[in-house]
Amino acid sequence: MNKLLYPIAAVLILAASAFTFMTARGWQITDGYSITFTNDEASGIFKDFKGTLVFDEQNPGAGKFDVVIDVTSINTGNGLQNKHAKSDEWFDAAKYPQIRFVSRSMARAGNGYQVTGDLDMHGVKKATTIPFIFKRTAQGGVFTGSFTVNRSDFGIGKPGGEVPEPVKLDISVPVTKL
Amino acid sequence: MFKKSLALGIVSGLLAGIAGVIYAHLYYTINEADFSRVASTINILAASLFGGVLAAIGYTLADKWLKTRGEIVFNLVFTLISFISLLGPIAVRLPRNIDTPELFPGMVIPMHFFPALAWFTLKPLFVRSK
Repeated sequence: MNKLLYPIAAVLILAASAFTFMTARGWQITDGYSITFTNDEASGIFKDFKGTLVFDEQNPGAGKFDVVIDVTSINTGNGLQNKHAKSDEWFDAAKYPQIRFVSRSMARAGNGYQVTGDLDMHGVKKATTIPFIFKRTAQGGVFTGSFTVNRSDFGIGKPGGEVPEPVKLDISVPVTKL
Repeated sequence: MFKKSLALGIVSGLLAGIAGVIYAHLYYTINEADFSRVASTINILAASLFGGVLAAIGYTLADKWLKTRGEIVFNLVFTLISFISLLGPIAVRLPRNIDTPELFPGMVIPMHFFPALAWFTLKPLFVRSK
């Protein structure tokens, strides 16, 4: 038994160190990101966004996104609309101050990738798939993606009404290597 | 008549503009809210001058058409227009990269009364009441 201990330990160490190189790369979110939402009646941005992004183009399946948007950072360009958007009639920022997306799986899709995960918004958690592309830059790279959510699926605003149900989200996140 | 009221309009517009620029700078300093990209010095001066000249045209027309009642009607309309114009800054959508848009109306709303205030203050120096 003692004869096997050191060879097994050596193999385990070798495997662990090799696995380290195979692990997907972590990225640091930098300034200049943009999270915008638009539909025919309402549009704006979320100014505060943070989280961890682990992604490797060669091994997207090992990727992991866990990002949080601060709801109180919403900016529609109009003070009254900002207040209205944060009220309990819409995002209810006092009760649900964050929008969170945690990925469950990631894969190649066409010329880009897609990530599926749980989008937690306004107290409702819903499986959501976000297609995105990743472009390398001199500093690191940029993640860009667009997807649409129905606001009523998350209990945001009254169903129907003047503001259309689908809301398009455009995301652009420049990153640098960790 | 128009010559005098135009002079009054230009002078009161310029004074209102200068007051607006000073107020804007004070507002930026006190509230740390900078709206100079949408309400620059030139914009404030031009808007105030526009208001002054428009008032001069309105005053002349009111005086010509309504005779003795012209001044009363003009004063009411000028004040009313100043109030109605407040809807502009309240409803405006600023570029989204400007922080604290809720502070914008607080800066611009007083400025909307500066031309009328300057006009009423300076009027005795330019045009005598009938």
